[in-house]
Amino acid sequence: MSPIDPRLQEALDGERDPGDLPVDLREAYVRLNAATQILKATPPVSVATRVMAEIRQNPATVQSEGPARRLIQWLGRPRAVTVRLRPVWTLALAAGLAAVLVLQWPNGGPTPGVAQGIANFVGQFPGARSVEVVGSFNDWSRGTLHLNDDDGDGIWHAKAVLPAGQHEYMFVVDGERWVPDPLAGRYVDDGFGAGQQNSLLIVRPVSAQP
Amino acid sequence: MVNDGAPADVDVVALVLGGDGEAFGILIRRYEPGLLRFATRMLGNPDAAADAVAESLVRAYRHLAQCRDPGRLRSWLYRITGNRCRSHLARRHTNDISLSDVPAPALADSSDTWAVLERGEQVALVERALAALPAEKREAFVLKHVEGMSYEEMATVTGARIPTLKMRVHRAREALLAALEEVVR
Repeated sequence: MSPIDPRLQEALDGERDPGDLPVDLREAYVRLNAATQILKATPPVSVATRVMAEIRQNPATVQSEGPARRLIQWLGRPRAVTVRLRPVWTLALAAGLAAVLVLQWPNGGPTPGVAQGIANFVGQFPGARSVEVVGSFNDWSRGTLHLNDDDGDGIWHAKAVLPAGQHEYMFVVDGERWVPDPLAGRYVDDGFGAGQQNSLLIVRPVSAQP
Repeated sequence: MVNDGAPADVDVVALVLGGDGEAFGILIRRYEPGLLRFATRMLGNPDAAADAVAESLVRAYRHLAQCRDPGRLRSWLYRITGNRCRSHLARRHTNDISLSDVPAPALADSSDTWAVLERGEQVALVERALAALPAEKREAFVLKHVEGMSYEEMATVTGARIPTLKMRVHRAREALLAALEEVVR
């Protein structure tokens, strides 16, 4: 496979009139467009009936969630504490975080289910406008687990109740930059072909914690 | 997306969030063809693609309140579907479509046997060339050229940066063109 002429790339990107291409490039342009037309054929199936049947079976789960409702849900969600080990520079943070956790969950607080644990996500992203976590536990969907940096020190954190076991995840910074957790310690190939790695998190069930 | 005379996505989303679950059918009808096409090209298997799209749409319904910008609902739905395809590929422990998954081409015109054979060969060739691409290049090519997205929208769907996406599309074009020219020679 050799690089194709930049003029052809420009024409395919709509940045150049394909009529201006030399004959050989124009043929390549036509060939690729013909291939694209083949791929545009829509599969003659529908999942609409199946999807609507499932929605009708359990219609009550979609609802608009305002900040107050989300806060109530967050406060009422069972949780325990698993503090992941961090390098030396986070010791002070960990101490502060521990204090916060004690304040939030006096008397041990509610606990997750037997096969669940709490994951603490912490990352240092100075200047970031937003940080969230996507992973195998939320189908890599954005918008479900946001980290917070309330004091603006560039250290973002969030907690989540997760099923016990192994989870892959990445941070999404400013809504567009996917980065592995530099402090995860364990990584696996992301299986997407670019040699990138997902961070690996192992959540221990609360019942297994001392 | 707004069709002639049809309610805008934001209005339909508002209806659904207001309790009219049946209105979600409007969104299904609007986006199902593209999502099925996208998933089929990503997974190379119509059954797996249908499962992925169905699961994605149900998930979208359940989490509709978390769609921060209903005006960009299409991107959101493609992102969910792309994630589902990604999970499916990861479960298979491979990035690539098995060529055996690429179905025999559906022939559209049976009036001329020779023409049908030629068309069928073209379809099989293109589908196999696409299936041979790494998943990320396949995704970029399909979103750009099959689904007709801008690089900006592709960035929203995939989470990748625009220069990265341009590079993936360019590499995909090179690979596809090489595969096509090999047969023409």
